[in-house]
Amino acid sequence: MSAPSHAPDQAEETGPAKEGWVAAERSLRQIAWQRFRRDKVAMAGAVVVVLLIAMAVLAPLLTRLFGFPPNEFHQDLMDPLTGGALNDPANPTSGIDPWGGMSGTHLLGLEPVTGRDMFSRIVYGAQISLLVAFGATVLCVVIGTVLGIVAGYFGGWVDTVISRAMDIFLAFPLLLFAIALAGVIPDGAFGLQGNGLRVALLIFIIGFFNWPYIGRIVRGQTLTLKEREFVEAARSLGAGNGHILFRELLPNLVTPILVYSTLLIPTNIIFEASLSFLGVGINPPTPSWGGMLSNSLDYYTTSPHYVIIPGLAIFITVLAFNLFGDGLRDAFDPRSSD
Amino acid sequence: MSKRALGLAALGVGSALFLSACGGGGGTGGGDAAGTYDQATTEVVNASDEKGGTLRYAISANIESTDPGNTYYGYVWNFSRYYARTLLTYSPEPGKTTEPVPDMATEMPKVSDDGKSYTLTLRDGLTYEDGSPIVAEDIKYGIARSNYGDDALPNGPRYFKELLADSDDYEGVNADPSDPLAGFGGIETPDDKTIVFHLKEPFADFPYVLVQPQTAPVPAEADKGQQYQENVVSSGPYKFEGGWTPGNGLTLVRNEEWNADSDPIRTALPDQITVQEGVDQNEIDQRLINGELDVDLGGTGLGPAKKGEVLSGEDEKARLDNPENGSLRYVAVNTVVEPLDDEACRQAIMYAADHDSMQRAWGGAAGGEIPNDVIPPQIAGHDPDLDLYPSKDDKGDLDKAEEKLKECGEEDGFSTNLGVRADRPTEVAAAEAVQQSLGRVGIDVEIKQFPSDTFTNTQAGSPDFVHENELGLNIYGWIPDWPTGYGFLSYIAHGDNIKKAGNSNISELDDKEINEMLDEAVRTEDADEQARLYSDIDRRIMETGAILPIVFEKSVLYRPDNLTNVHFSQGYSMYDYMTLGTTGS
Amino acid sequence: MVTYILRRLGAGVLLLAIVTLVTFMIFYVVPRMAGQTVQQLATMYVGKAPTAEAIEATIDRLNLDQPVALQFWEFVKGIFVGATYSFGGREVVCSAPCFGYSFQNYTEVFPELMARLPITFSLGLGAGVIWLIGGVAVGVISAIKKGSIFDRLAMGVALAGVSLPVFFTGLLMLAFLVHAWDIFETPRYTPLAEDPVAWMTGMILPWLTLAFLHAAQYARQTRAGMLETMGEDYIRTARAKGLPERKVILKHGLRPTLTPIVTIFGLDIGLVLGGAVLTEQVYSLNGIGRYAVQAIISQDLPVILGVTLLGAFFVVVCNLIVDLLYAWVDPRVRVAG
Repeated sequence: MSAPSHAPDQAEETGPAKEGWVAAERSLRQIAWQRFRRDKVAMAGAVVVVLLIAMAVLAPLLTRLFGFPPNEFHQDLMDPLTGGALNDPANPTSGIDPWGGMSGTHLLGLEPVTGRDMFSRIVYGAQISLLVAFGATVLCVVIGTVLGIVAGYFGGWVDTVISRAMDIFLAFPLLLFAIALAGVIPDGAFGLQGNGLRVALLIFIIGFFNWPYIGRIVRGQTLTLKEREFVEAARSLGAGNGHILFRELLPNLVTPILVYSTLLIPTNIIFEASLSFLGVGINPPTPSWGGMLSNSLDYYTTSPHYVIIPGLAIFITVLAFNLFGDGLRDAFDPRSSD
Repeated sequence: MSKRALGLAALGVGSALFLSACGGGGGTGGGDAAGTYDQATTEVVNASDEKGGTLRYAISANIESTDPGNTYYGYVWNFSRYYARTLLTYSPEPGKTTEPVPDMATEMPKVSDDGKSYTLTLRDGLTYEDGSPIVAEDIKYGIARSNYGDDALPNGPRYFKELLADSDDYEGVNADPSDPLAGFGGIETPDDKTIVFHLKEPFADFPYVLVQPQTAPVPAEADKGQQYQENVVSSGPYKFEGGWTPGNGLTLVRNEEWNADSDPIRTALPDQITVQEGVDQNEIDQRLINGELDVDLGGTGLGPAKKGEVLSGEDEKARLDNPENGSLRYVAVNTVVEPLDDEACRQAIMYAADHDSMQRAWGGAAGGEIPNDVIPPQIAGHDPDLDLYPSKDDKGDLDKAEEKLKECGEEDGFSTNLGVRADRPTEVAAAEAVQQSLGRVGIDVEIKQFPSDTFTNTQAGSPDFVHENELGLNIYGWIPDWPTGYGFLSYIAHGDNIKKAGNSNISELDDKEINEMLDEAVRTEDADEQARLYSDIDRRIMETGAILPIVFEKSVLYRPDNLTNVHFSQGYSMYDYMTLGTTGS
Repeated sequence: MVTYILRRLGAGVLLLAIVTLVTFMIFYVVPRMAGQTVQQLATMYVGKAPTAEAIEATIDRLNLDQPVALQFWEFVKGIFVGATYSFGGREVVCSAPCFGYSFQNYTEVFPELMARLPITFSLGLGAGVIWLIGGVAVGVISAIKKGSIFDRLAMGVALAGVSLPVFFTGLLMLAFLVHAWDIFETPRYTPLAEDPVAWMTGMILPWLTLAFLHAAQYARQTRAGMLETMGEDYIRTARAKGLPERKVILKHGLRPTLTPIVTIFGLDIGLVLGGAVLTEQVYSLNGIGRYAVQAIISQDLPVILGVTLLGAFFVVVCNLIVDLLYAWVDPRVRVAG
């Protein structure tokens, strides 16, 4: 069966061309960097990405400066009759605050029911999103690279088996599988407890199901590279397969792998958010964006900010990574004209 | 107790009269269809005897089962009466809705002097939907199929099996196909109209057991085991149209063979009744408000989103009822998991808990009252003056909590786990509130989430699992199977009821004093004496710190304008479905 | 051609077998590796009175103590020849194709799936038409008018589109279009045959939500593909021959671009038909996806197995259709495989 790919594009074009490839690679990277710098949109994406990472890392500091501990309740600001809706300070007897309690003290308002500070929860939510997305991407890259390079280099039945495996992964109803798997693993499995287990599980599931995207690209690249002279040369000098695979081929694959893993990160962020939305994410009270959106299903009529703010957080993050990744790919694409 | 039960017989007749009087005269709020806030909690709103129309129900989940023998949900117990009549049922008269009255029986049971046998006589004119007569043996068969044997219907309670004498060797209706009831000595049917129950021990609450839908008649030849739910043979005013499978909705149409004269309970006003399943809660609420739906079948009230919205609008608020539904929501504090095996450590939790915060998490004042004891106000034995763990503004007494921690040798606090049903946002919010408030005295709580479908059977409901995973705390709730102290307490506080799976006594409370008092109470005939015993039990449970009450829950029920004869039934913890009618939309 | 079809069919069947096996492993083997006992498993299906005898009876009735391989064999056998279960002392015949019997709802899984299929089909096919036509059209126009305001705007929106999770788009639509501004009614499914207008108005928001994400991807891909082909030599040749620009674009430019798009469409639509989980969940549509999520929450294994299998079946079938279309259009494919 044919095996279409969701990966952004095929990438036969980024590899180095001639002997003296180390120099060529270096200059290619320089050219790419110059191109990338001129791409204002991509640069903007890159800046946002850096800021987001900084936000996640500096979450404790940020919340101390501008917010509250992320799990601290502020129920005194909630309507005492229903507990859920936010009191309108302008109309305390019968009003629901349409702005969700946004103010100088609570920059992004408050969560319904608990009254927890949304700003702090968004900031801390970035930790989970990015941690899981990066972790899963690394796992995808490791599995994808190893299997892709092996399939491409050895060809024959090895290639057939690995390629068919990739087809199978693509034919699976992934999301169903992922929630099913996340649901059947009890706490304490594999010696892990609580959120440690949840994060590991999310990383494993996402990484395990998404590797074929990278796998295909690496396989394709390897197929073209292995015909090149430098591989032939190494082989004639008696280098073993291990040496050729990881010393000769792998360095040449670094660039495309980096580019496509950048583009995989946003996919993985959405995947993580989807799992949390479906209720198989991190344990409470640890904040996560998808989890907040899932809770907001009960409050979208009275507290629309509870939908908008975590949703925007996901959107901005994914968009920034997409812009950054698109820019990176264009910069390394010799055929791209602008 | 049998005295009180017998006294109720007269009331049963009275209530029917009351209803018809209501239908004739209106008599609530001068014809204002909308009624006033909380009105249907105590009286009938929008009284009318107008027949016809379609009464539209919807539910956010799937109906547990339409089989009256295979259900443990109050809403099915209430709803199934449309097509499955029972020996007794709860009175439809406001203010008396926790009292059993005769349905298929002519009057309340006659109790023998030793308190061990209950005799009832069936009314004249009872028929199935095909016109054939309902006989006493069919009731016996219904009880047999739902209680006895390895393949007894799984979902319902097993009170008959626990209580009936001479039946311990009976292996169910499938053991001997030629004679399904052979060996079932606990029930006698001397003739088609008479049914006699023989109990192992006197059990004063037995009339409440006869209210349960398992006493609905099932003709043996129609029984298809668990699949009987697809088409229950009707004994009531409505019958199935087109069968039922879970999730695909249900339509009931008039059963022309039903004899109104034989039925003091059902007014059978609508021509047709429909149920839609699997409708999102927000959607149900919106349709109720739009007038596109009449009743939320689940009976638990508006979801959090609409609740906030409707409660804050004066006009809409008049269409709300906010009754206490008779359930206690609580944290089961395990008495075995260390260090909570020490009473002082449990009492530290009782002192440290922030009741104001937990109530707000449970939906604020409209979501429930803050309890100081275990037995809800509707049940005899509730003590409004009890307050063993007083604190300012219900925020908890941290000094006392720290004292108690010192007493149990954990002055730096300790760590424990809190189990909660992941797909119940309110319970998760309450869990977070518990976590926050206990954190104030150094009790470090980690929340563990479980699927609600397995929580009560295999996680919180399995002592082995609780011990292994050190689930010192579990968020739980209890609605009594019937509104007496025994019906409420025996499953959650009696040491004999600790089970290996499906355990409801999640605290594993096994206190000799409590066990003995409970056993004594249910043998006690005198109502005042009994209430006094329950009060003592109530206090003793609070002392043990095994149950940390969150709220006596209140529902926020929406009452659409076109719904007639609406009133809250305390017995079912929701509107009484048998009296409802519709004026159409 | 016949051998080609047979080979493809064989591959499809093999794929289905592997999917079934893996699903089976996840639910029957992984939990045991993680420490679940047969008794715990049985307790989930025994109802609310889980006495020790009842649990043993359930284990026996459901063959839970049998080796996994045997259970797997029984399941597969059921699909082809049906199966008989003993419930309440009565034999329950689950006729072929028997996708299993829900232990919790006492219903056969297959009819339940079929009952929900129209909802998922309405959602998936409706959205599919919108995103395919919309996405390709926007992509083509963008490519032709590269650099124009339309192009920039469209590509901006498309980029936003691929960055928006469907459940966020869905929630926004519910919060604003339905609730705050009252423009649409809450989505609900009405059978097409019953009331075509209600069917359409009820599905329009779910369609748009699901289609937006995919349309964005397709627009980006179409544009990129068009730009690439339009730079090829044969396009220049075609232009030089004096063919009208319309014809050049539609006949020579679009066709090679569409090939990979159609392939992806086959896969996407196959996945959606197996359950548009997130969209169905946000809008509470009782399709296959929501059924699956409910089954997963309540750990109703036969249902989960059935849904997964059905989902994989759609992926395989859609791919098969795409492959055969290619083979029919372009005979070289048959050889290349």
